Amino acid sequence: MKFLLCVFCLSAVPAWGDGEGPAFGYSTAILGPGNTSVGTTLMWRSGVTMFGPQLTYGLMENLQISVSAPFHLDHGDHPTGRFTAMMPGDPQAEVLLGWRFFHKSPGIGTRNEATLYAGVSALTQDVPRADGPPLRRQPGMYVAVAAGHVSRRYDVWVGAGYQRYGTWSRGIDDRQSSSLLTSFVVGWRPSFFDHDYPKPDVRFFWETTGGLIGQAQRDVPPPGSPGGHDHGNAPPPPPPNSSGIVVLPNSGGTGLFSGPTFLCTYRSVAFQGGVLFALWNQPNGVQPAEKVRAVAGVTYYFLRGRK
Amino acid sequence: MSLSWTNMFRGVALAGLLFAVEPAHAEYLRIQLRVYGLDCELCARGVSASIQRMAGVKSVDVSLKKGLLEIVLVRGNTFKMSDLRKRIRENGFRSMEATVTAVGEFKESRFEVLGSGESYDVGSPDSRASATVELTFDVR
Repeated sequence: MKFLLCVFCLSAVPAWGDGEGPAFGYSTAILGPGNTSVGTTLMWRSGVTMFGPQLTYGLMENLQISVSAPFHLDHGDHPTGRFTAMMPGDPQAEVLLGWRFFHKSPGIGTRNEATLYAGVSALTQDVPRADGPPLRRQPGMYVAVAAGHVSRRYDVWVGAGYQRYGTWSRGIDDRQSSSLLTSFVVGWRPSFFDHDYPKPDVRFFWETTGGLIGQAQRDVPPPGSPGGHDHGNAPPPPPPNSSGIVVLPNSGGTGLFSGPTFLCTYRSVAFQGGVLFALWNQPNGVQPAEKVRAVAGVTYYFLRGRK
Repeated sequence: MSLSWTNMFRGVALAGLLFAVEPAHAEYLRIQLRVYGLDCELCARGVSASIQRMAGVKSVDVSLKKGLLEIVLVRGNTFKMSDLRKRIRENGFRSMEATVTAVGEFKESRFEVLGSGESYDVGSPDSRASATVELTFDVR
């Protein structure tokens, strides 16, 4: 049933991605002024299924804004780091500005670029936890930088981003895990797909992402919390420190993932997908290790520009 | 329909207004422009769509492999080469040399594309005629 729901969503609401780059990692592409893309992404990682609609609009020559609102279709007990560079890993609404601050085109079909991203977000769903009731929802901020070289044959991108959550009001110190995501992506367009415009454009990527996810915290243990919340496996949380904050031992962790992805664009539509496998994954506490994560998305572009 | 002084006056006023607002004909007819940075189908589509919306543009063809835009313009347009370069820059790419076919006049040593206010040093010593001519030349 969930699979059918996902397929329906993917077919009904066109699109994710920037149409230019990788599925998981950072890239530098910025929509031209007046252009819009609408996308959806289905994201899955061992036990967690999310669906993420995204809208992006080119504001100026090197400035775009995007709004995404991923939500859980199913959840697990994994560390809740960022899912992809452009998509949060928690159910939240995020507004992200992208500013391409460096841009050189040294030759035909070749660009060197660097883009800075900055955004704010607000959680829209409670994130279930194995060690107690969900933490109270908080606002978040996100900054990232990406740099890359693109050409007709090869692409290379590197990037890193940091997400941090705050609190809505004083005295409530529930906080989701902060996270650091880094990525290294190599792209390749085989000569078989090296057609001239307008023909389908297919590119393959090998993406590697590294994530460092901090520990979440709870301001006071909720009364009567058994530490199980239908999961039952987690040990009871430790007592609060002198500030009345409990750093949750079953949160956060580190991971390194790598795998193939692809991007296919034709006319105003882009299809994107791929799978990353865990090279190394060490979640804190009793959280289950993540072995594989996958995304599939489709994006529709309204490339009209301004008059 | 009877012809009244009022209607005649309106007609003359309308004609005058039309002549007043009609720009002098800029006669860019065809532009082949090298563009750096176009690497993907969506890049080409975005640039093509953006230029297609410029006034006076009849058609745009893009070659990704050659990094070349070929733009055909309608007669009597108000097109400016500087606007084209700006539009390409706005889309994140870099415009380079061009081969331009345009109608214009030689003024002193430069070829002026009528109505556009843009002129080029085409380096042709025997072509300094005062008559309007159609010329194909390279622009750096």
